[in-house]
Amino acid sequence: MLPSMKLADLAESKAEEIAREWVVNVQKNAMTPYYHNRPPEKLIPQAVKFYKNFRKIFTEPKPIEAGREFFSRYAAERYQDGVPLHEAIYALILMRRQLWLYAEFQAVFTTAMEKHQAVDSLNRTILVFDYAMYFITKKYYEMMQEGWMEKEK
Amino acid sequence: MMAGSLKLVTLIETHAEAIAEQWVKDVKKNARTPSYHSLSDETLLTMAVRFYDNFSQMFYTEKPAEISRPYFYQYAEEHFRHNIPLSESLYALILMRRHIWLYAEFQTIFISAVEQKQAVDSLVRTILMFDYAIIFISQRYEELIRGEIERKMGRLRRIFSEGKWGQKMREHRTIIATSLTFLMIILTTYTHTVLKSDIVFTHLYYIPIILGAIWWKRAGIYISVILSLYLIISHLLFLPSVPLINDVIRSLIIVTISLVLTWLGRGLVAAEEILKRSTTKGG
Repeated sequence: MLPSMKLADLAESKAEEIAREWVVNVQKNAMTPYYHNRPPEKLIPQAVKFYKNFRKIFTEPKPIEAGREFFSRYAAERYQDGVPLHEAIYALILMRRQLWLYAEFQAVFTTAMEKHQAVDSLNRTILVFDYAMYFITKKYYEMMQEGWMEKEK
Repeated sequence: MMAGSLKLVTLIETHAEAIAEQWVKDVKKNARTPSYHSLSDETLLTMAVRFYDNFSQMFYTEKPAEISRPYFYQYAEEHFRHNIPLSESLYALILMRRHIWLYAEFQTIFISAVEQKQAVDSLVRTILMFDYAIIFISQRYEELIRGEIERKMGRLRRIFSEGKWGQKMREHRTIIATSLTFLMIILTTYTHTVLKSDIVFTHLYYIPIILGAIWWKRAGIYISVILSLYLIISHLLFLPSVPLINDVIRSLIIVTISLVLTWLGRGLVAAEEILKRSTTKGG
């Protein structure tokens, strides 16, 4: 098994469970007021989709290509929902944190070898999120401009 | 502060300038940061050194969010002033973080097993800082963009819709536009029949045309069409000896300007809708 695969496997196999914990968090976090009154059944699929796709993006030799499509779609959907950009970003950050909390809780990385794997996983996750931030902000502003153009037609 | 973080902070504090220089080289040629390519090395270096100074300070505090907020707001304002899009501004920030790590790896400060544990601590702490940074910067950018649109639209709003006179006029817009259009028709007839001239009084046409475009957008074009048609008909009826060409040109210009005004008016409405959308929290 590749060093970083443990986290990806966990995300995929426990997607629903982690997503539920994320919903609890995002619904009471002061930085995500948009999500506070949304029904959990509408929010859970957003996180499940992320966790299910996480493995694909995480394990790609070029995560940028795999991430571009997924995160641009995430941005487009949140924009259509009317989520302010910084909240859409923070909700995604919380998805990542929730995954890590779950991994810690499950004691996925305990031995010295696993600690080394943890560094790899962290590095890889950060890389994926670096691209995510870039694609999401880019897409939001593209959507804003497109909206402008369409209304002018 | 955790031991791993201390090691990283010491590195940043002692090598801020060297790390900043590496970042400048990167950001000036990176395909995802084209807006930085034209900025001078000095400007960029100052930006990065300031960031690294503030970043190390954040490690010393128990409440990094509160401490870092003013700095990252300032970061957003500075980059916004340089007309840098948010996506590039965030990516440049990400590159600043990467360069700390590249430098740390280059200096091989985390080698042994204990140091690997420290590396995890540093990573976790760094990510936390950057999570706050990204949120504060994007939040401030949104505010700045909203502020700029509001400021640009504010004058027009004050004049035509939200001002005291603007609102009163809007309430009676049909009467005002109809009266002004009739007044222009009477003025045209008087100038053509009594003064026997086609002197340039048509500038006055723009008053009902501008008001119509603002109040009714596309429907406001009808005012310009009615006035232009009447100008030509009146000319044909009362000034047969004077060449028609000048009034035909005037009519075309009037209709064109009315189309442009309508287009601008629609742009204003679109901007307002987008602004309202971005202001509405909770959808």
